[in-house]
Amino acid sequence: MLKVQNLVAGYGKVKVLHAVSIHVPKGQLVTLIGSNGAGKTTTLRAISGMIKPESGEILLNGTNIAGMPSHEITRLGMAHSPEGRRVFPTLPVTDNLLLGAFPRLTGARPKGDVDTDLNRMFELFPRLKERKDQLAGTLSGGEQQMLAMARALMLQPEVLLLDEPSMGLAPRLVEEVFATIARLKTAKITMLLVEQFAAAALDVADFGYVLENGRLAGSGPAEKLKNDPAVRAAYLGASH
Amino acid sequence: MDLSLRGFPLVRVFTTMQNFFQILVSGISVGMIYGVIAFGYQLTFATSKTLNFGQGEALTLGALVGLTVVNFLIGMKLGTFAAYLLALPLVFAFGLAQGSVVEWLGVRQAMKTKSEAGWIMATIALGIIFKNLAENIWGKDPLKFPSPLSENPLTIMGVNIRPMEIAIVLGALAMMLAVELFNRRSIYGKAVVATSNDRDAAGLMGINTSLVITFSYALSSLSAALAGVLVAPITLTGASMGAALGLKAFAVAIIGGLSSGMGVVVGGLILGITESLTGFYIDTGYKDVPGLILLLLVLSLKPAGLFGKAAIKKV
Ligand SMILES: Nc1ncnc2c1ncn2[C@@H]1O[C@H](COP(=O)(O)OP(=O)(O)OP(=O)(O)O)[C@@H](O)[C@H]1O
Ligand SMILES: [Mg+2]
Repeated sequence: MLKVQNLVAGYGKVKVLHAVSIHVPKGQLVTLIGSNGAGKTTTLRAISGMIKPESGEILLNGTNIAGMPSHEITRLGMAHSPEGRRVFPTLPVTDNLLLGAFPRLTGARPKGDVDTDLNRMFELFPRLKERKDQLAGTLSGGEQQMLAMARALMLQPEVLLLDEPSMGLAPRLVEEVFATIARLKTAKITMLLVEQFAAAALDVADFGYVLENGRLAGSGPAEKLKNDPAVRAAYLGASH
Repeated sequence: MDLSLRGFPLVRVFTTMQNFFQILVSGISVGMIYGVIAFGYQLTFATSKTLNFGQGEALTLGALVGLTVVNFLIGMKLGTFAAYLLALPLVFAFGLAQGSVVEWLGVRQAMKTKSEAGWIMATIALGIIFKNLAENIWGKDPLKFPSPLSENPLTIMGVNIRPMEIAIVLGALAMMLAVELFNRRSIYGKAVVATSNDRDAAGLMGINTSLVITFSYALSSLSAALAGVLVAPITLTGASMGAALGLKAFAVAIIGGLSSGMGVVVGGLILGITESLTGFYIDTGYKDVPGLILLLLVLSLKPAGLFGKAAIKKV
């Protein structure tokens, strides 16, 4: 489904990623863990076209999307819930959600039933339903996080990139976010998850990659990584 | 009125309320013109944080293209009003095309290289080119734009109002309302708002944000072209008609705020009315002074300046 090969990317002259390769098979949940500044967000940004990779291949269903503008990548079925939420503050919750379905509403992707999906999002995140006419900028951080996730899901994506969906949330909400991710996994949505709570991410994931200073430092089935002493010492000790 | 106050300057100011309302009427129509042009500045500023400093020339070209089309249609034995109505869609289409050209040639490259001054110089340069073009095609002498509505004023409670002045107010409001409705109701309009909010995030929604910016330039020139054909019948039409209007509308955009929709209407009215009051009660020679003072005041009271956050982040 999503195959990243020897990805090199960065910001201007600053190289952040050095030949990163990641594979996200269809219907699986893969997580990318690593310490602050390791390049997790940069990886997701390069995949979704927010930044142009310097070299390497990014195959989405066999098509090389490396270097494509982000709107074209989205139209190929990739949704990205970015770091820092990035909801549209001056638009109501409902409009934010509808914009998630923009390619479907404008003929760039199969339309399906947008209204039903909208209601499904309101079922999944009842708090958004209560606030559906409220401007997104006036939501609490946690509510905005849910909105960002729901907005990404409105694409009916083939691959979903999630960058720290639990960032800044109260512990109870963090649990809720992970419960939602588990539910999406049951629904067989292909996901690449970046999380600060590495242990929780490995609990829910099928497979994991460890990123260190822009390079892969390890990978394996989530179960195995979780019990790897080196990984435990470096990433799992502090987060719980 | 208290006769003992006769001779006191204030009394002269209000000698007749009719005079005052008469001034108000012309101030309002000119103010709405400023408002529409300033609205155009807002449109591109919202999506790209850049402005078309050739907005005045977009107005000029719109008016002159309108003039040619109207004269052609009148030559085809059409009535002036019908000719004007038929010319409007062509003027709009021309405005859209002209704005797109400005964005392609002047803005896109500068935004790619993140050059701050690039787009300023480029849009000014394009404005000059457009003005020269207009001089070469339509000559340097002002031309008469046939008025689609009667030039005889209506007298309402002693105040003379030219029908075209009413048309200006209605046309300006219709334009802004249409854009507002488009932004609120259609998914494409929401895409424009999303691009204004957060360009990168809008790209992630599958929105082609470069195209949105081109579109906002197209719409901005359309507003200017509309202002051109609205104002042309009550003034003289020519290559240099837009320069002062564009500049004053820029002041209005600063006064009213580059981000709040209603601000430009209020700003336009304030400027238009103070101008005509000054022109009548003080001296036409000083007509432009209050607007500039107002501009200086706003700039100094808003230290964040023209592109300051306060102007951008307001919801
Ligand atoms: N816009 C940017 N311009 C320049 N450098 C950047 C930019 N964004 C990130 N970086 C740098 O790239 C490196 C990787 O950052 P990135 O955001 O990918 O890390 P991360 O793994 O997501 O970290 P965190 O867990 O803190 O979110 C860091 O050294 C960071 O300083
Ligand atoms: Mg990050």
